[in-house]
Amino acid sequence: MRPAAIFELIHKEFIQLFRDKKNRPLLVIVPLLQLLIFGYVVNYDVKNVRIALCDQAKTKESRAVVDAFLGSKIFFVTYQGENCTRADELVITGKADLAFHIGPNFSEMILKGQSAPLQVIVDGTMSNMASLRIATVWSIIASTNRKLLKEFYGTEQSSIPIEGRLRTWYNPNLESQYFFVPGIVAFVIMLLSLLLTSMAIIKERETGTLEQLLVTPLTPSELIIGKTVPYALIALLQMVGVTAFAVYWFELPLMGSLTILFLAVLIFLLSTLALGLFISTISATRQQAMMSTFFFILPFFMLSGFVFPIANMPFAVRLLTYLNPLRYMLTVIRGIFLKGVGLDALWGELTAMVVIGIALFTAAVKRFRKRLD
Amino acid sequence: MARKEFYHTLRDIRSLYLAFAIPLLLVLLFGYALSLDVKGIPSAVIDHDQTPISRDFLRHLAANPYFHIIFRPSTTKEAIKLLDYGKVTMVIIIPPAWAEKLKANRTSPLQILLDGSDPNYASLSRAYITTFIEDFRQVKEKPVLLLDSRIRVWFNEELESRLFIVPGIIAVIIMIVGAILTSLVIAREYENVTMDTIKVLPLSAGEFLVGKALPYFFIAVTDVIIAMLLGEILLNVTMKGNFWILMMATVLYIGIALSLGLFISIVTKSQLVANHTAVLTTYLPSLLLSNFVFPVNNMPWILKFLSSLIPATYYLRVLMGIYLKNVGVSYLIGDFLILSFMLLGLMTTNYLLLRREGM
Repeated sequence: MRPAAIFELIHKEFIQLFRDKKNRPLLVIVPLLQLLIFGYVVNYDVKNVRIALCDQAKTKESRAVVDAFLGSKIFFVTYQGENCTRADELVITGKADLAFHIGPNFSEMILKGQSAPLQVIVDGTMSNMASLRIATVWSIIASTNRKLLKEFYGTEQSSIPIEGRLRTWYNPNLESQYFFVPGIVAFVIMLLSLLLTSMAIIKERETGTLEQLLVTPLTPSELIIGKTVPYALIALLQMVGVTAFAVYWFELPLMGSLTILFLAVLIFLLSTLALGLFISTISATRQQAMMSTFFFILPFFMLSGFVFPIANMPFAVRLLTYLNPLRYMLTVIRGIFLKGVGLDALWGELTAMVVIGIALFTAAVKRFRKRLD
Repeated sequence: MARKEFYHTLRDIRSLYLAFAIPLLLVLLFGYALSLDVKGIPSAVIDHDQTPISRDFLRHLAANPYFHIIFRPSTTKEAIKLLDYGKVTMVIIIPPAWAEKLKANRTSPLQILLDGSDPNYASLSRAYITTFIEDFRQVKEKPVLLLDSRIRVWFNEELESRLFIVPGIIAVIIMIVGAILTSLVIAREYENVTMDTIKVLPLSAGEFLVGKALPYFFIAVTDVIIAMLLGEILLNVTMKGNFWILMMATVLYIGIALSLGLFISIVTKSQLVANHTAVLTTYLPSLLLSNFVFPVNNMPWILKFLSSLIPATYYLRVLMGIYLKNVGVSYLIGDFLILSFMLLGLMTTNYLLLRREGM
């Protein structure tokens, strides 16, 4: 190993990378765009819920129920009338998320102390959103019920005051962005370091300059270092940029230590660069490399807990996720951003990434050398 | 022409993989492994009370499929550590002298700590635990109810995300197979300089386009049918509505995907750029902005507007209408019209572009 030779190669790599105008958007715009899009696209908050209201009673009591919903600022009424079929139709056509049916003798029953039916029809198509809306509807109805009871009997009715006091940690307002933005930081690093490395090598192969590099006194390991280190540096720079953007634009709290985050990214890069090398050995053209990257990224993304919780996966698939470096990186980056945990909580994930990274890297280098011979 | 393109695809194993393996993988992944529903929430419980009622509460909790009690630590500190390390996402603490205070009608709330990092998961967990506590209370005291809430869920009665994700994935598959694969076909002719040869052949622009698109049309239709069968047989995702109405929309949508791919191919003339463009303008938007798993209603207005421009939004409405809602054509007529206009517009543009190229 001769540091000077490696340095020359790295220098050359940087010049080539920045000279090609096509690379510029890939380096800056693509990561930012991904951050922006994902930051706004993935949002499972319960808000702007549209109600089609069929109120056949139109009394003080029925209005009190509706006001309890509107007061939460989560719900708004898109249709109001006495035609319940019309209200249902709005749910069918997807123009309303909920339909309320309040019967004509709603108030009479309440005033008599009987239980008056309030029918709520929920569009269940998107099941997770529907479950959340149901829970919100349910808790508003329960508290309205308590209020009505108090008015009716004049006292608290509950005889056994069982209740829960819920506290949500790490993301108290349950903001979707807090969860997804750190994930995107990890994902962007993975995508770009993988893509850039494989592209750089294949470009040399396509133009035939890889052979030329081989006849120079560079050893294969020097070549590999020269081909990966520049992209590791760029990935680190991108991490800084994207993290800054996350903190300043999305106002994400960064609770933990930046040093540990840096360390984690370095370890993570071991795996992604190795994959980049590997892809370069199985593809002859950049076209094929793009496609292969696509195939690799997809399962990595899906089985990382980025959007879909790992706890929900069947046992066999959950075992597979243990092989996925992105899974550990997500735990680490979310832990650092949201929980502010340190090495004592994250050492398991970091060790796993080191092991996977070294294994992948050795395998990739072996394959790469074989291809060179 | 079509036959030539077929051979081209068959020869390239990677394209074949993209054409058949990716759809299979997506359907199986989404159907089996990826779910947004919450079940078996990993929880830790601490019982400081140790009375019949607290044990009864925990027994109920353990029997509930939504919760999975993994740890029973003895101190709050240990429990917090479990939460920090991500071993559990919920901690339930029963305070000391809970039963006693309840009997004396004094409040002594259960303490519940939730890991809020994943908001979707945390909100659902919160919803389930609140419902659970309220249910437990009603079992114990049977209170009077003035409001009798009758919540009925339509279309997806069991509230399973699989039932909307698996049909939705069909729209994404068509975009991958249709637009991404076809985006390469004309660009390839340009790159290999065979385009000039084709121009002098006695082949009209229309024939050329149809010939290029036809093989991919059959691949896409095959993929859709495979996806539907997999859903039906393996994943229990049954179609409630009329198969033929859905097929009509599918043919329109495949046509749009292919035309988009060809359009990108004609305009960019380079396989690499075409591939990038196709991923950015067809695949990603139809995944992210079509209401597939990400609710468009929660997005800022600019994304809502973009969502109304992409064909996947309308096709997804038809998919949901047929798969889950069982609605008739009259409910979908608007979506059909928009899809037809999009298809016509794209085909005309492609035809005119090729004519201008001198075909």
